[in-house]
Amino acid sequence: MKFSVFQVSRKGGRDKNEDRMGYCYTRESGLFVLADGMGGHPEGEVASQLALQIVSALYQKEARPIVKDAPAFLSGALMAAHHQIIRYASEKGMLDTPRTTLVAALVQGASAFWVHCGDSRLYLVRDGELLTRTRDHSYSEHQGTNPGSPVALNRNILFTCLGSPSKPMFDVTGPVTLQQGDKIMLCSDGLWGTLDDSEIVRQLSQQPVSEAVPELVERALRSGGVRSDNVTVIALEWETPDSFESTRGISTDSIHDGVFASTIQAGLLDLAVDDLDDAAIERSIAEINEAIRRSVARKA
Amino acid sequence: MSKVKPAPLPPDTVIGGYRVVRKVSAGGFGLVYLAVDNEGQQVAVKEYLPSSLATRGPGELLPQVQPEKLSLYRLGLKSFFEEGRALAQISHPSVVSVLNFFRENETVYMVMNFLEGATLQDFIIAARELKKQKVFRESTIRSLFDEILRGLRIVHQHKMLHLDIKPANVFITDDNKAVMIDFGAAREVLSKEGNFIRPMYTPGFAAPEMYRRDSSMGPWTDIYAIGACIYACMQGYPPNDAPQRLDKDRLGLALSRLRGVYSDNLIEVVEWCMSLDPLSRPQSVFALQKELSRENERRYTKLSVGEKVRLQFDSLVTDTKKNLRNVTVFGARTK
Repeated sequence: MKFSVFQVSRKGGRDKNEDRMGYCYTRESGLFVLADGMGGHPEGEVASQLALQIVSALYQKEARPIVKDAPAFLSGALMAAHHQIIRYASEKGMLDTPRTTLVAALVQGASAFWVHCGDSRLYLVRDGELLTRTRDHSYSEHQGTNPGSPVALNRNILFTCLGSPSKPMFDVTGPVTLQQGDKIMLCSDGLWGTLDDSEIVRQLSQQPVSEAVPELVERALRSGGVRSDNVTVIALEWETPDSFESTRGISTDSIHDGVFASTIQAGLLDLAVDDLDDAAIERSIAEINEAIRRSVARKA
Repeated sequence: MSKVKPAPLPPDTVIGGYRVVRKVSAGGFGLVYLAVDNEGQQVAVKEYLPSSLATRGPGELLPQVQPEKLSLYRLGLKSFFEEGRALAQISHPSVVSVLNFFRENETVYMVMNFLEGATLQDFIIAARELKKQKVFRESTIRSLFDEILRGLRIVHQHKMLHLDIKPANVFITDDNKAVMIDFGAAREVLSKEGNFIRPMYTPGFAAPEMYRRDSSMGPWTDIYAIGACIYACMQGYPPNDAPQRLDKDRLGLALSRLRGVYSDNLIEVVEWCMSLDPLSRPQSVFALQKELSRENERRYTKLSVGEKVRLQFDSLVTDTKKNLRNVTVFGARTK
């Protein structure tokens, strides 16, 4: 499996960058994730970071070296991330929960699958044309489909996301068979909010991702002005032609089975996914019984 | 979400070597059974089976957990373990003791001493029905809370907080011992993350800091609840909850009604424990014990006529529900 990938995230005019992005891969599979922590709720950057960590941790667990059921994995990972955010909020006794969008693409063999929730998008570009892109879970993108909805509206108003008390709505797409040179781009609304689709497609088509991505981000920041939103983009080019020499090209063919590479850092929190497995349960019970024995001994 | 409560294990089911006699109670976390061990000793067995996350059909042993609820189910299991860990470390007559912990039927069980008696809440309700001036005698209150505080001191020494002290969680056994139960909210607070808050509290007994984010809880948080419990033993009803008090604090007023009935010292102790500012409360159980054990001269300050009128007037203007009744009482007296 071969691809080139480039990612960049810029704060723009905001106080902090609540967008998160990253990718990880095994010998035969690659995962690309982007999350945009939501303003108006606390700790958006925690929500997006948690989402990335959970999805990548689950991917590491499942991709051996490929994920067997990609659509099930993507929806399961999204829900796990959602629950982890709720759990984080409840453990901290927060009155309002942190929230985030999520878009994640899984590429293995020549097939691509993706899941998205909210208004972070995925674009798939082939031969200079937009093959498809995700439809946002926002009132403005669904206006056409639901005439009863209020005419509106601010592009930022989403009707679903991760971390909200109501269950997230999301869409899983795939498999889509990839062809050599296809480009998949994931971006936050900071990009598409100021650049139209035709410009995005043109830039992506004309240059390698290592040049198109920084160029797009730069343009978005410029047109966003001093109050520009966070802008985050991660894009990959599928099966890069051999003639194309990119310093960022990744060939997974040479890596061994069982190797897992990731740009997504763990940390922030003590976050083992589903850390209470059978062994942990047995350990807890043994510890408690040991403590009981000690207390009884002390008393005697 | 299923509204059907999980069915209890039928009598005579044997779990972990204990034979179930009957279900004793059910809560959000699961079920409690009276059971006997193989020597015929009675024990209480608490079964982890949160009704919002798991179901169990009548006559069945294994609970069913829906896949999407599994992570929450396991999270709850963690708190169940924390309760077990908390109790296992403590061996004190005023703290319910845990005897065993085991796994069976795809869930976990905690075996505890079986207590016979009733909760302090039951006693308060029974006592207030008598409509006496005093709900409990002052000496009863002092000795009861002396016992509870001895246990609480040990809990705090283990760097844990109870965080849900209330009359329903204080058990009075038939041989007249006070025992603190339900450590489901107990947390090892002085470990890594000090700002940990459970979004679980009982209004009236929860200190204001339990409602806030990122505020530090400590022994003073349990002490607030102790003050509220003493209050409930004097008034027969729980105090206003902390948010209400922050809005308009009527605690002083409510306590002044008890002047002359209970000693000034006891009333002051309650006010001290229930200070809205955590720093103004007794900072340790020891400090409170010292004050509560001061048995020397008890002073009783009766209300003056002026104060009585003011109290009555206050009820008239503020408590619309009681208005009518108060008007008639007031009218009768002026005749």
